[in-house]
Order: sequence, then C-alpha cells, then structure tokens
Amino acid sequence: MSDAVPPAQAPALKVEDLELSYRVRGVPRAVLRGVSFEVRPGEAYGLVGESGCGKSTTAYAAMRYMPSNAVVDGGRVLVAGQDVTHMSDDELRRFRAHGASMVYQDPVLSMNPTLKIGKQVAECFRILGESKEQAAQSAREALRRVKIADPDRVLDRYPHQLSGGMLQRVVIAMALAGDPSLLVLDEPTTGLDATVEAEVLDLVRELRSETNAAILLIAHNLGVIRTMCDRVGVMYAGRVVEEGTVGEVFDNPNHPYTLGLLNSIPRHGVRKTDRALFTIPGNLPLIGTDLPACVYVDRCPLADDLCHAQAPPTVELGSGHWARCHHADRIADIVPPEHEDTDYSIGEETIVQLANVSKTFRQRGSDVPALVSIDLGFKEGETLGLVGESGSGKSTLAKALLGIHAPDEGGSIELDGRQVRAKATDRRVESIRAFQMVFQNADSALNRMWTVRHILKRSVTKLAGIKGAEADRKVNELAEAMRLSQRHLDMKPRQLSGGLKQRVAIARAFAGDPRIVVCDEPTSALDVSVQAAILNLLANLQNEERTSYLFITHDIGVVRYLSDRIAVMYLGRIMELGTTDQVFRGPNHPYTEALLSAVPSVDGRTTDRIPLKGEIPSPANPPSGCVFHTRCHRVVMGLCDVTEPETIELSPGHSSKCHLTAEQLAVPVTITAAAV
Amino acid sequence: MSDDQIASGPSAGDTEPVAASAITSDRRQARRENYRLLIRRPSFIIGAVIMAFWVLCAVVPDLIAPHHPLDYRTDLNTGPRWGNLFGTDRGGRDVFSRVIAGSRDVLKLAPVAAMLGVIFGVILGMFMGYLRGWFDTIASRIVESFLSLPVVLLGLLAVTTLGKSNIVVIGIVATLFTPVVARTVRSAVLAETELDYVASAKLRGESTMFIMFREILPNVSSPIIVELTVRIGYAVFTIATLSFLGAGPPPPSPDWGSQVSDSYNSIVSGYWWSTFFPAMAIASLVIAANLIADSVQSVMEGS
Repeated sequence: MSDAVPPAQAPALKVEDLELSYRVRGVPRAVLRGVSFEVRPGEAYGLVGESGCGKSTTAYAAMRYMPSNAVVDGGRVLVAGQDVTHMSDDELRRFRAHGASMVYQDPVLSMNPTLKIGKQVAECFRILGESKEQAAQSAREALRRVKIADPDRVLDRYPHQLSGGMLQRVVIAMALAGDPSLLVLDEPTTGLDATVEAEVLDLVRELRSETNAAILLIAHNLGVIRTMCDRVGVMYAGRVVEEGTVGEVFDNPNHPYTLGLLNSIPRHGVRKTDRALFTIPGNLPLIGTDLPACVYVDRCPLADDLCHAQAPPTVELGSGHWARCHHADRIADIVPPEHEDTDYSIGEETIVQLANVSKTFRQRGSDVPALVSIDLGFKEGETLGLVGESGSGKSTLAKALLGIHAPDEGGSIELDGRQVRAKATDRRVESIRAFQMVFQNADSALNRMWTVRHILKRSVTKLAGIKGAEADRKVNELAEAMRLSQRHLDMKPRQLSGGLKQRVAIARAFAGDPRIVVCDEPTSALDVSVQAAILNLLANLQNEERTSYLFITHDIGVVRYLSDRIAVMYLGRIMELGTTDQVFRGPNHPYTEALLSAVPSVDGRTTDRIPLKGEIPSPANPPSGCVFHTRCHRVVMGLCDVTEPETIELSPGHSSKCHLTAEQLAVPVTITAAAV
Repeated sequence: MSDDQIASGPSAGDTEPVAASAITSDRRQARRENYRLLIRRPSFIIGAVIMAFWVLCAVVPDLIAPHHPLDYRTDLNTGPRWGNLFGTDRGGRDVFSRVIAGSRDVLKLAPVAAMLGVIFGVILGMFMGYLRGWFDTIASRIVESFLSLPVVLLGLLAVTTLGKSNIVVIGIVATLFTPVVARTVRSAVLAETELDYVASAKLRGESTMFIMFREILPNVSSPIIVELTVRIGYAVFTIATLSFLGAGPPPPSPDWGSQVSDSYNSIVSGYWWSTFFPAMAIASLVIAANLIADSVQSVMEGS
C-alpha cells in the first residue's frame, strides 16, 4: 500500500461533479448528485456505501456503460485525460478496447455459456487486431498471467465446467487483454467463498504491481477495501461524503456515516454478551427525492439546526483526508452501545440431538456422501455457528435436521429425547412446530403473491394453532416485535426493502414457539447497517424465547458475535467443534486455521494467509485417509493420506478430527513455497 | 436500537440501476399499469375491435345481417353485388348474412373448450411439476404421445365413434389442449418448486394440495392467462376444422366450417365467394385472438 505517487501525473480517472439521473416514465430521478474523486495511475481506489448510494452507477459511468434511460445532467468523467461522456461511438469502442475495462460481480453472467473459454478469451485479442493464431497464443499467455496453472485445459472448457473463482480469474484475464490504464472492479468477489476471495484478491494485488493499471474497486465488504485499496471514498445518496487513505478513513473516520458503517460491523472480537451492535437508524433517501442540505441529516446522531439549514463544508483533515460535515470535530460524541453484559444463559438439558446422521445422494447410479456421521447436540438457548466453504455440507446438514432431505437410515434426530421422523411431512405437529428456518434469500422464501399479513397469519394458524381474531392479534404482536408497522402488513414482499423482508421471514419462523431455528446466512445479502439490526433482533429473540440457533454463515465476524459454539465442516464431516473462545483462541484444526487466515480484516491487521491448495474435492470421490489431506499445510504423508483420523479432544469441549495433537497444532506453521 | 425502515415509498433504493424502474407502487397500481400498457398497443386494439365485431354478430345477428341465414332466394350462385355483398350460395342464401350468423356457434364453443383445456391442463401440469417422480415420468410420456397425434385424425375418430354434438366438439378440443397446457404449467411449476417458500410451507406442515393450489398457483398465473388467450385462438381454428370435417352442425346451418365444406366444391365452377368469405371470417377471428394473445403475453412478461 503505497501513497507515494507523484502528484504531477494526470489522473487515470477523474470524476468531476458528476450528476446522473435515470428517466423513469419521463421523470428524471437523480442518482448521482455531484460525485467528485480521482484515481491516480497505479493507485487502487475504493468506493463504499450502502446499496443504492450510487457506487455501482459511478463505476458504470466511468466506462460509460449505462442503461438507455440514464442521462448525464452535469459534470465530466475523464479517463487518462479523455472525456468519456462526450466520446463518439468509435472513440468509445477504442476506449473500451484499450483504455479501460471492467470486471463484474457474477463471472457466470460475464461469460457466454455456449462458447468455450478459449474462444471468448481469444476474442478480446482479435478485437485488438491480432490474427487467429496470435490471439490463441495470447489467450494462453493471458491465463498464465492470472496464475492458471494449466491454461490449455481451461481454454478447452465451457464456463459451467469451471468454479466461480477460476471463472473470475478468466474474466480478469480478459479485462487485462487490452492493457488498460483503468480497471474497474464491481464487487468482484462478492459471490465467492472467503478462501477463494482471498486468492482472487491476492491475484489482483499482484497484477497491480505488474501492470501499473489504476483500479477502481466497488465493494460492500469494508475488509476487502481495506486490504486492497490505497484510498477510499465513502458514498452516501449520490455524493462522496468522506475521502482519504484507507488507514485514515477506517481508523480515524470523521463523518458520522463512515463511523456508523464501521461500528455496524461486528469486529474486535465483540460478542453478543458484550453489547448490542451499533446500527444506523432510517434508510437511504429514495432515489430521485429532494435532498436536505446535508444528505445524512435524517440519520445523523449529531444533526442540529445548522445541518438542516446549510450544506456542510468540506473539512480538510490533512494528507488528503477530508469529510463533508459541520461537526467533524464532534465525531467522538457518537458512542457505540454500552456494554450490557446481557446474560445469555444456556440451558442445561440438550433439546435437539443428532446422532450418527448421514446423508447420501444418489447421482447417476453412484453414491455421493454429502453428510458423514454427524453427531451434534443443541442446548436450550444456544447458538451453534456452522462454517465451511461452499460444498462442505452446511446446508445439507440444515436440511437433514429440518427434514427437508430425509437422512440415511441408521442415524437419529431426537427432540427432547424423543426420536423424530426423518421427513418433515411425516413429523408430528409438535415436531414440525419445533423446527423452523430463516432462509438466506428472503425473495425466494416469501411467497411473492401473498401480503405480509397473509404470510404471518397462515404461519400463526399452522404453527401456533390459533385462528380468527386471536390470530389477528398475534400477527400484530409479532409484527410489533419485529418492528414492522401496520402499513407493512398490507404490502407484498417485493415492496419491502431487504432488511424488512428478512424481518418478515424471522417473524414467520417465530410465529409458533420454535425450539430450534436454522438461520442460513440470513444477513449475507444485506448491508452492514441492516445486518447489525437483524443480528440484534435475532440475539434479543433468542434471549426472550430461549430458542436454539443453528447459524450458517461464512462471515467470521458474524459467527463470532452470535455463536456460543462453532462447528467447522469440510466434505460433510465436522472437522472442529468448540466454544467460540476455544475456536478463536486456538489451537485449531488446520482447515479452521486456513479459513480464519483468509478473512480480509477491516482493522488492517495483516495476518499471513495460509493458502488452501486447489479446490474442494468432490464428495462423490473423497480423498483417502483424512479428507482434508490434499489441501492441508500440516499434512504428514504416510499417515494422513492413509488413515482417517479419529475425533480427539484438544481441551474439554473442544474437539478436532486430526492426527495432530494440540501441542503439534500450536506450533506456528511456516508457509513454504512448496505449499503454495 | 435502530431500524432498517422502509422509506416513504416502496423499493427503498435497494437496487441500483434497477431501482429506477422499480419505483412502481402497489400491486393494484401495477395491474392498472398493465392494463394501460395493453390498451395502448395497436395490435391489441385491432384484435379487440375485430373480436368485438364478431361478438356483436353472435349476440344480435339480426342487427347486422340483412337476411335470415336460412332464407332461400331465387338467385343461386350470384357474385357479390349490392343487396348480397358476399353473393349467394348454391342454395340461393345470402352469404353475408350466413357469415354473420355463423359466428355464434364458434364463439359459443371456442372459449368453453379453451377454458376446459386450460383447467385440466393446469391441474395435470401442477401435479406433474410438483410431485415429479414416477407420476411425472408416466404423465410426460402420455402428454408427448398425445402431442404427436394428428388433430384431424383424432377428431374424425372421435366424431365417428361418439357422434356429432357440441359436447363432442368441446371434448375433443379440450382433450387436445390439455397436454399442451400441462407442459407449459409443468415447467413453470418446476421452477417455483425450487424456491424456498415451498420449503417453508412444508416446514409449516402444509398439505400438498395447499402448497400446490394456494402457494404455487398464484405465482404461475401469468403463463396460465397467456396460455388461455392463445388457446382461444387455436380453439376457433380447431373447431372450424372439425366442422369442416363434418363434426359440426349439419349443412343448412350457417356455421363457418360447415359453410366452407358445403361449398368448396363449387370453387372450380368459379363460385369462389361462398367459400372465400366464411374462410376469411375464420381467419379474421383466429388472427384477432392471436393479436390479443400476443399483446397480453408481451405485457405480462414485460412487467
């Protein structure tokens, strides 16, 4: 992270007072309202902010990739001195071929599914005027450049045959084909696992030093911005409200909004027992509405009459750090929620016990073991965090518990000591009511043709067994507990914001008196400020209702905040299980060790990342011995690849499925070149 | 503790470029919007005007037709002229009046037949898409074999074995349409079944019937409405074909298909009008139905 860029050079990207609106049925709705910032050559600049703040629109405007109803109302976008907003079609085509390129969020959508990778990568070079043979050669080189070990094999594949991480590498290779002076990355790692994300980010970091391209990075994950960028701009309602080096802005924020965002993230190892999470009240102003003098005034804890009357000045804070706020000097007045030391007591007796639960799918005549002999117990009011890469069997475990997939014969799921049927549809009413779920995607989980009231009333009727006026009263109570207003009750899900939809989904799960609720990444699609409110809600509900949670997530900060115990899964097996303290204190199973090291931190602490070699193996064909040995950095050849390890206790209540003892695991590992 | 409140309107800037078009408000308004979009489409207007004309003819033929459709006149096979706009047929009857009166049969049968076909198709497709497994496999094979049967052959077979009647005609058309509709509905239901609200309903202990018809059905209503409008057009065509083949009302009746079959022999003698005009009537009604169906489809899918 260098800030030593000679100021004399022309900026790679300069956005000047950009105003942009979308015309909806003839009415202009302003999205960008005077965005200004610049990215110097070779610099990485990050834009952060909640969804709807205009950061993606800004990124697309830099490429002049805009929907037909977008109108630039004022300002300029200069890429290497050329005004993008006034280019002719020809100039624009040349500019996009040579000057700047973009990497999108979803690599699957960026590729044509019917053409082989080789053809698509070569096309980027054909456009640059290379012959067919040259282009094929260049394509191979391009893939080698993005650290794809076997380019010929990849070139011969179709997009669906590659993993998301591999595909994103290919997209980056294509973006770099024209040797652009500006590379725009729009949430390039959002859909990827933390381990894959870390690899892609490493790659971008390396390429940066090689190519000297300037980077504009859009991400909602502040940790990604912190580890990748030199400078960052915080956007709110179509304006940049604070800008500076990542260190300055993240460690010493001077705009109340920046502070709000940072405080919403569970970090510094904060736990639910310590305090509630900080949230930002209210919502972004609607696109196209008139803005108050200070855009943030309606949600700002420091707002006073001055903020309503006058637009805030730009307060210079030294070394290029500035914030647009009247009260930047009073930022310390905003205090995070107090330490509450809420007593999240966990009951003594086990409510739900899984013993030897396995799930084998039949696929094209062969058995695919997705879950292998899982033993897991839940105490009353306990949260068990479940982590692991995609494909590790987290969701399968949840679905087996809920009875959506019936587990194999031989295992048992007990509720209060009584065995329940495998399939949800065969279960008794009490068992059905005991197991509920909050899904990852509320759009999919709520029937879009039903009103919120209808959804909740039906749940109350089925799960609490009450009808008529009493059910109506219960619906109102539920809505109130979830902070949904009467107005929301008569809306359809699509009229609600993401956070409200998730509240409806949580209300539905708690309509009866659930004993255990499975939360499958309930906040992964939400902004950090909304995520904080949802996590607070879940923690409060648990404390009041004494419900147990199985909490699936890939966000280490979230799992640490909410969980009492953590289970780490790999290829359908639990590799490590312990209390949150035990897992974060270590020593850990090597897999956990690698997972924890992959997380980009908002606090800027750089840990040595332990790379996970290759991709997660197919469960249809698991490796011999310890299933993790093919990717393990502590592998003992001759042992790990032959014998499957037993689960051993590292300390009381902390178990690990590994041949190595606690003492051996505590030895710091040195990452040798051979391991990478 | 704070809240992620919805702001003053729906869709509180959750998405970026999309948000611009998503500022529509509630469902009723969306429906009104659809309706506005529909009546602004020229193809819909043309289709609706033609359709309205034939409905008017079917309801009050005497208002438009100058003669009774069964009136015998002295002049046989006269060409189009003032007083007999479409000429007269070999029985000396006014072709124009017969075309007007003939709309009644087809407009009575086509919507009923299409509706029945859609209802059975929806039920079958619903079970196929939701239950899957062996039921779907067997039903899919049956549906496919039905789709490969020639319409004419099946129609003739049914008429010869079951006799001529409106019920038989409706039955044939509905039977022909059921598999087609079932296939459309099945694929829509397959996609819906993957969504989490279905899993959530199972976790609530809902019955299969409830999940299929209360949870999923409303979500597949758009393709069903489109299918219904498309099927009405096809029903007109199929019914005309069947009555041409003799499944319809017997000759003196002014039914379009019967008129064509009754007089197409005389085309070779130069008396084209008694065949041409009823055929055009069939075509105009099919085209009108298709214009309406196309408009409905593009509005539904656009929203």
